[in-house]
Amino acid sequence: MISVFGYLAWRSAHNRLARQLRQLRSPRYLAALLLGLAYVWFIVVGQRPTAMTGPAPDPRALELVGALALFGAVAWGWIFGVERRVLAFSPAEVTFLFSGPVSRQGLIQFKLLRNQLLILFNALLWTLILSRERFGVSSGLRVISIWVMLTTLSFHRLGASFVRTSLAEHGRLGVRHRLVSLGVLGATLIALAWSIADALPDVMAARDHDVRSFLSAAAEAAQRPVPNALTYPFRILVRPLAADTVTEWLAALWPAMVLLVLHYIWVVRADTAFEEAAAEVSLWRAEAFAARGGQSAPLSRKGPRRSLLRLSPNGWPAGAILWKNLVAATRTQRFRNAVLTLAGAGVIVGVLSFDAEGTLAEIAGWLAVFWAGILVLAGPQYVRNDLRGDLLKLDLLRSYPLRGWSVVLAEAGASTIMVTGIQLSLLGIGYLAFLGNRLMSPDLEQRSLLLLGSILLLPGVNLLGMLIQNGAALLYPVWVRLGTGRTAGVEALGQNLLMTIAFVALLSLTLILPAAIGGGAFLLLRTQLRTWAAAPGAILAIGVMLFEAALMVEWLGRIFERTDPATSGISL
Amino acid sequence: MIDVDGLHKLYGDFAAVQGLSFRVGPGEVLGLVGPNGAGKTTTIRSVAGIIIPTRGRIRIAGHDLADDPVAAKSALAFIPDEPHLFEYLTVEEHLRFVARLYRMGDVSDRIPGLLEELDLSDKRGALPGELSRGMKQKLAIACGLLHEPKALLLDEPLTGLDPVGIRRMKSTITRRAAAGTAVILSSHLLHLVEEICTRVLVMRRGRVAAFGTIADILAGRPELKSRKLEDVFLALIGQEGEKAEP
Repeated sequence: MISVFGYLAWRSAHNRLARQLRQLRSPRYLAALLLGLAYVWFIVVGQRPTAMTGPAPDPRALELVGALALFGAVAWGWIFGVERRVLAFSPAEVTFLFSGPVSRQGLIQFKLLRNQLLILFNALLWTLILSRERFGVSSGLRVISIWVMLTTLSFHRLGASFVRTSLAEHGRLGVRHRLVSLGVLGATLIALAWSIADALPDVMAARDHDVRSFLSAAAEAAQRPVPNALTYPFRILVRPLAADTVTEWLAALWPAMVLLVLHYIWVVRADTAFEEAAAEVSLWRAEAFAARGGQSAPLSRKGPRRSLLRLSPNGWPAGAILWKNLVAATRTQRFRNAVLTLAGAGVIVGVLSFDAEGTLAEIAGWLAVFWAGILVLAGPQYVRNDLRGDLLKLDLLRSYPLRGWSVVLAEAGASTIMVTGIQLSLLGIGYLAFLGNRLMSPDLEQRSLLLLGSILLLPGVNLLGMLIQNGAALLYPVWVRLGTGRTAGVEALGQNLLMTIAFVALLSLTLILPAAIGGGAFLLLRTQLRTWAAAPGAILAIGVMLFEAALMVEWLGRIFERTDPATSGISL
Repeated sequence: MIDVDGLHKLYGDFAAVQGLSFRVGPGEVLGLVGPNGAGKTTTIRSVAGIIIPTRGRIRIAGHDLADDPVAAKSALAFIPDEPHLFEYLTVEEHLRFVARLYRMGDVSDRIPGLLEELDLSDKRGALPGELSRGMKQKLAIACGLLHEPKALLLDEPLTGLDPVGIRRMKSTITRRAAAGTAVILSSHLLHLVEEICTRVLVMRRGRVAAFGTIADILAGRPELKSRKLEDVFLALIGQEGEKAEP
């Protein structure tokens, strides 16, 4: 049976790659490939001389940082869970495999095998990304180390999803499970803190020196028995990566391999809830897939039938598309959770900010501001209720009596509104959190100006970000993952990292001109208007951003009108 | 109402449609038939403005599809064989969405009648995920009919419908045609074509194999006169040797 699964996985991957390579006959795709190769070369090779300067990092520190990162990823999976995505099969797989003479263990084997392609690709990618770092063994051995680490994590994710699914089937997954997971995590962190309490002064003193010393001191503290034991499984996985010689690598690899094999046995044997859960998830996904033409956003079955957003019968026709995308977002469980969290946090922070100390509110405020900033980069990649989802219904979109530019604007506009709404809510929480702090710099007036500036600038920045993402989907539908779901999981982290860096570079490029003109206006007027010079600066900057956005919308609209569903490579 | 003049569609060296010209007037129902790969879907999707023709002109209600696509598309409705619906919009919201796209103003008073016609009244608050395949198809049809198109393009419209749905669908098509809509219907169901189409366009390898009423076609091929419709079709597409299993 394994050979059949191997055949299916291999031929599917081979044909998919062949189809993607065939697109290189188009100059647009060829140019993108050359740019992509140049980009990877810049990331990997171009920076090598810089990385060679300075002493090599402490392997123990690398091991600690890696172990903590893995610990975080595993804890996240257990607390929040990703079982639906992990367990899902494609509609064709459900049709052929679930109705075929395949055991549940066979299905799991297939699932593991299919994930291998993604893991191998990302292992190679990470090897490239890390090739400029001065640590570890040769690239070939490093690929193996990363493969072992990613495969074990992938197995762990699948195993954790089985446990969570099993608990859910028995009605035990919910707040109680989350509390248990959080309790275990909390106890682990307390045990860690307690065991290294007396070493903390040394670690904190090293922090004042430099990052390298801080990490070395932290690694030294982590050698104590309790933290060593708690982080041991994660260290095992990272250790081969930090090995300096082949002998060290071999000695570090076998415990990691043992862990990998143990995980394999766990996953293959812990299949109690698998078949039913996977079938249910997959059929549900297939049903949703058919309904929405291939999108993979989580579906809320309990969605309210009455939407808060009403569509006016009159107005800009493409406004219907914008409304449709916003309604889709508001009907997901994720959206409702986000609104409840933001509203709750706003009220609590608002009340706490008038407390004499206000420390808790300020911590929440910093976190809110931090996440609002992160969303500038992450928002356009994760909020995908736009062309990235709707291109799978290109037939339908093309039959509407709308010009291409209005389709592009409405699609990108919907995601822009969603991200901007979340960011402004977070900034509002941040603003509230520091309301009672009269000693803080920037002062209240400056903070008010910053908030006002954000209200003006963020829609423009987000719209440019969304247009870049939608433009990539429209220009390269064969290479860009379409649908509302994004490739996720630790195993896909490498490719997501590269995509993020490329996106940041493109977004920065589009922001150079608005920043230069807005910043220039601010500097020119600063002597007369002082802080208030930021207002004309922001207005000019948003003006330039909107001009750039208009050019992009017009261009992408023309491309949309020329996109032929039959030849674009989009699987309708 | 629908004028197609010299339509060509090439995919690289492959010609999916070659020099196709025809006209469908108000009240006419044109049946588009042919074997798989004959170019029916390419033709119907070109007329719907989804595929860009390599050569040729298409006019819908007097509007050139290439020069004024918004006006041309406003006058037509395309209903594909596979219903494409939006996962998070209810049945009624789909109709309101389409009404806004086609600048129809408030359609609150028209929605109940249309839902009744397509037997969807008790599903107006349901999401597509809660509908059967046939109901989804009916919703796609309701979306297409809402703006009372002057040109109606249907690709295998009976797919997934139950016998009652099939009867209603046939009645809907003939009623729309009687009201002056030009209809193009692509189907492999020859009895459907025979029953409701006023003319038939038989395609083979991207070209017209026969065009006219069934009587006209048979008049041009007297040797086929006494044969069953299926045999006539096979003869027209050059598959005369195909024998039915006993």
